[in-house]
Amino acid sequence: MAARTKDPSIIDAAKNVVTDARDVFRVFARTLYYLFRGKREKGEVARQMFAIGNESLFFMCITMAFIGAIITFQTGLQSRKLLPDFSLMGATYLKLLVRDLAASVGALPLATRVGAGIAAEIGSMVVTDQVDALRMCAADPIDYLVVPRFIACVVMGTVILIIGGFVAYGSGLLVANLAFDVTPSTFNNLMYLNLGDVALGFFKCLTYGAAIAVVSAQRGLATFGGSEGVGWATTEAVVGSSFAIIVLNLIISTFGYFLVPSVGPG
Amino acid sequence: MSTAPARALVAIPAKIGALFLAVAKQAGGLGILAAQILRRLTPSQIDRHELFRNLNRMGVRSVPIICATAAFTGGIMVIQAAPFVEQVQATSFVGWAATFTTIRELGPLLIGLIFNGRVGANNTAELGTMKVTDQIDALRALAIDPIAYLVVPRCLAMVSMMVLLCIIGDAVAIGGAMLTADALLGVDPHLFWASALERLEPWDFWVGLIKSGLFGVMIALTSCHYGLATSGGAPGVGRAVNASVVAAAAGIFIMDYLSTFVLG
Repeated sequence: MAARTKDPSIIDAAKNVVTDARDVFRVFARTLYYLFRGKREKGEVARQMFAIGNESLFFMCITMAFIGAIITFQTGLQSRKLLPDFSLMGATYLKLLVRDLAASVGALPLATRVGAGIAAEIGSMVVTDQVDALRMCAADPIDYLVVPRFIACVVMGTVILIIGGFVAYGSGLLVANLAFDVTPSTFNNLMYLNLGDVALGFFKCLTYGAAIAVVSAQRGLATFGGSEGVGWATTEAVVGSSFAIIVLNLIISTFGYFLVPSVGPG
Repeated sequence: MSTAPARALVAIPAKIGALFLAVAKQAGGLGILAAQILRRLTPSQIDRHELFRNLNRMGVRSVPIICATAAFTGGIMVIQAAPFVEQVQATSFVGWAATFTTIRELGPLLIGLIFNGRVGANNTAELGTMKVTDQIDALRALAIDPIAYLVVPRCLAMVSMMVLLCIIGDAVAIGGAMLTADALLGVDPHLFWASALERLEPWDFWVGLIKSGLFGVMIALTSCHYGLATSGGAPGVGRAVNASVVAAAAGIFIMDYLSTFVLG
């Protein structure tokens, strides 16, 4: 981000967005190329999977449990005003969770946790000239650093978001039972759910994992200006990947609305 | 000498205990920082120039990203609700449902998360860099209180700007929802407004504002605390930023749940 010291005008801001998007796509294209052509260090992907997946699991479970509880509580309050009938609450919640919320709401804390980690790690390698050292050894930093994180983030991000979805469902069930006296058997209603919803949710998980990895890696590689620059890169990675998730969500949801028929029976 | 299985048996409770101790340590640090800030507010000893600088940097510069996020979020909300609305022919409820959700829940939460990523992380990085380059000790050596000079203006700026940004973001998100409802479901904007105004209560608006204020306090305290507790040179700054962002995000969700429960 060039306009860091002065107040950017609207035109400058728009130019920056275009430049950033172009850089992100460039990193994405090279990542895809090396994904099939590159030669990777053995065990690096597994190490990144552990760092991205297992170490975020606790944080994500806590967050998703609270999200599930909040959504159910809020929905209950809202529907009590309209009609005091909670029999379809579980079915509606489950459908929304699978179709959108588990992936999209869960991806934001995931971007905070994982995106900040990737950008800080790659960024501190850049400012301590380790990335230039890699280039000197004829190892492309995209192949060597970004591709393992990309694979790990897509695979483990999806796994974690699915686990988080189950946790959110469990906590929603609990809150519905405690606060609104909905029995678990009433709440456990798969009536509105169909295969299209599952496919759409799964596709969202994969996309968000890829977006977090690519945006954060690009921000990390673009770091300059010492340790302060690493802080900036981390900030921009979190904001950039959150923003990418929301934009992608709008695009995928719009396509999903027209392509994946979602109205349940009844 | 303990045997291997016995050691493994002890290891899990030990890990859980260590986790709780770590959480308690951070929570205690936050509490002490909050007390120190409150003490400096009565009578107030605020550096006015620093306060205005932070208000501009943290609030005014965040407006574009907050507006963009909010507009998209409003659209997404209506797209997700669209199948249900079409199914039960509840077009007259769309306005109320979208504004209620935005004002009470989605607005404060999403804006809080973006604000945390943009302003909170940046604040931790700045204070952390000052800490590891001994600038905070230099302030002390000049008999300038670092809490009053650095932390109090930042916290005030973050809390007030979070509340103001939340109002702007709510408005933009409702605008996005209105446009999407018009384009996708054919809900006339007048009908949208009428439905919102008919059923919304002033209390819904206050709940959203109280929530955003609480999230602001959470982000401010966490980012300042982690920034001031940074150690270990330049890599330490990166670690502090990461830990601060994650802790504040978790804090926002916990705070959200508690305030939803208490405020009803």
